Amino acid sequence: MTEAAATAPAPAPSGGNGKAIFEADRVVKQFGGIRAVDGATMSVGEGSITALIGPNGAGKTTFFNVITGFYKPNGGVATFAGQSVLGRPPYVLARLGMVRTFQITKALAGMPVIDNMMLAGPDQPGEHLGNVVFRPRAVRRREREVREQAMELLEVFNLTKLADEYAGTLSGGQRKLLELARALMARPRFLLLDEPMAGINPTLGRRLLDHMQRLRSEEGVTFLFVEHDMEVVMGHSDRVIVMAQGRVIADGLPDEVRKDQGVIDAYLGGA
Amino acid sequence: MSEVLPLAVSFDAFTSLGFWTSVGIFAGTFTIFTLGLQLNVGFTGIFNFGQAAFMAIGAYGMAILVTDTGLSFWVALPLAILLAMGFGLIVGLPSVRLRADYLAITTIAASEAVRLVALNARDLTNGAQGIFGFDDSWDSVSDGIEEALVSLGWSDPETLFPLFLVVWAVAILLMFVLTRVQRTPWGRVLRAVREDEDAARALGKNAFSYKLQSLVIAAALGAIAGFFLAINLSFVVPDEFAPTFTFLGYSALVLGGLASYWGVAVGAIILQTVLEGLRFLELPISEVKVAALRFIILGLVLILLMAFRPQGMFGKREEMVIGD
Repeated sequence: MTEAAATAPAPAPSGGNGKAIFEADRVVKQFGGIRAVDGATMSVGEGSITALIGPNGAGKTTFFNVITGFYKPNGGVATFAGQSVLGRPPYVLARLGMVRTFQITKALAGMPVIDNMMLAGPDQPGEHLGNVVFRPRAVRRREREVREQAMELLEVFNLTKLADEYAGTLSGGQRKLLELARALMARPRFLLLDEPMAGINPTLGRRLLDHMQRLRSEEGVTFLFVEHDMEVVMGHSDRVIVMAQGRVIADGLPDEVRKDQGVIDAYLGGA
Repeated sequence: MSEVLPLAVSFDAFTSLGFWTSVGIFAGTFTIFTLGLQLNVGFTGIFNFGQAAFMAIGAYGMAILVTDTGLSFWVALPLAILLAMGFGLIVGLPSVRLRADYLAITTIAASEAVRLVALNARDLTNGAQGIFGFDDSWDSVSDGIEEALVSLGWSDPETLFPLFLVVWAVAILLMFVLTRVQRTPWGRVLRAVREDEDAARALGKNAFSYKLQSLVIAAALGAIAGFFLAINLSFVVPDEFAPTFTFLGYSALVLGGLASYWGVAVGAIILQTVLEGLRFLELPISEVKVAALRFIILGLVLILLMAFRPQGMFGKREEMVIGD
């Protein structure tokens, strides 16, 4: 770890309080002969809103899948809040506070919206059969708390009226909101959002962004999000990390990245 | 009666209490068996095609423990359940991570392996001849219930009626408990795993562990069904535990509807009534043909059901896992 830090120093994270909450060092993911993530190194400042951008096929989603435990890495190191996280299963990382959403939403279609939400509530003793039988009161008490939190969040995301509908009946945009609200139920410290704005209308998108800002300032949640909408990226992130061909090619303030010749060549083009 | 018309169909059997008692016992046994499938398929989304093996291990485990080791029947029952659960764990540990279709293949293979061992490990299982004489303890319980029925004013109760009562008491109790448990946070995680395993994992749920728990509980339910099957027939033979039993379980599951434990009972009753009831139809064709006809009719019922009510009788269309 110390050696890695010495040989591959990531730039000091800006935004938030200046400390890094998440650091990845030369993360590699190979599929056969293709190195989809080819030594990506980055650090994310605690309490920051960091955007991860790059052309299609740059390895952003693969990188997400590797650092959240969905893919087994072929190499590299990653730490979250001082703990090594690379190669650990997703559910363990989620319990540590590293919670993700998916590019293609994974609403649990055959469950009501409220159940989607309550599922994500952490520390529910009732998820163990033994407690269901022997500690029913503790289970019920936690259920009440979780339901209350769920209803509060649904209110924030304007989904209250849909609480009892099956998630499968929701529109694409509503599913995006549900997925974000659900992720928040898990009490994340570090939220990884894969294209949160894709497929939702600008009004909903603005509400989502406002909510991200508020969570950051009120609860100190850190965000790393993949996004293609440059207006959103440049206007709402403290920091932008650019990936191309499996590596991080630029990392800095939105204005710096916008002017970086390498980024313009690889991604931004003449825009 | 039958000499009046060569084409006459007799429905005599359908008015006999003995007939319905017998169908009822099979249906109750089948209900318990299929509750395990419902837990796996309807609520966890894992395709367990080896339920007959768990039933076999329950039945054989109990019969062998009683006849070979002289253990009390009442001690043998929980031990046999634990055996079946242990086997569920062994089958599940390497296979429950597999994709749905591969898990189905693995569990069918495990199921056939158990049946073939039962057929060939003659020292242990007595091979194709099967095991007898394990149910004395049950007989005394049955006699006790019969006496109680007599004292309640039923002068000549059906011999199998006590078994009928106990099977259904157990089946109803299990349906009640499972329905309750399904509404707990534990059950919610199972459904989340059924809907999208990755989403469940991303929200901090150890999907693997829940799938394993689901399979092991199904194994216990299979074992309990095995006890009733063994007691009902008074013997245990390998043929009873062919994969067909599991397939028929799936038919009952689809008939009753996915994601409903009470639907399982309805599916099992309909299935057994069709299968057993048609056996007693006196049709002007050979018995072999009648036997085959039962399955043709069952197939027809299933096809019509899929066409007009794919969610089954009590299933929720929104929670269907097959066909979307």
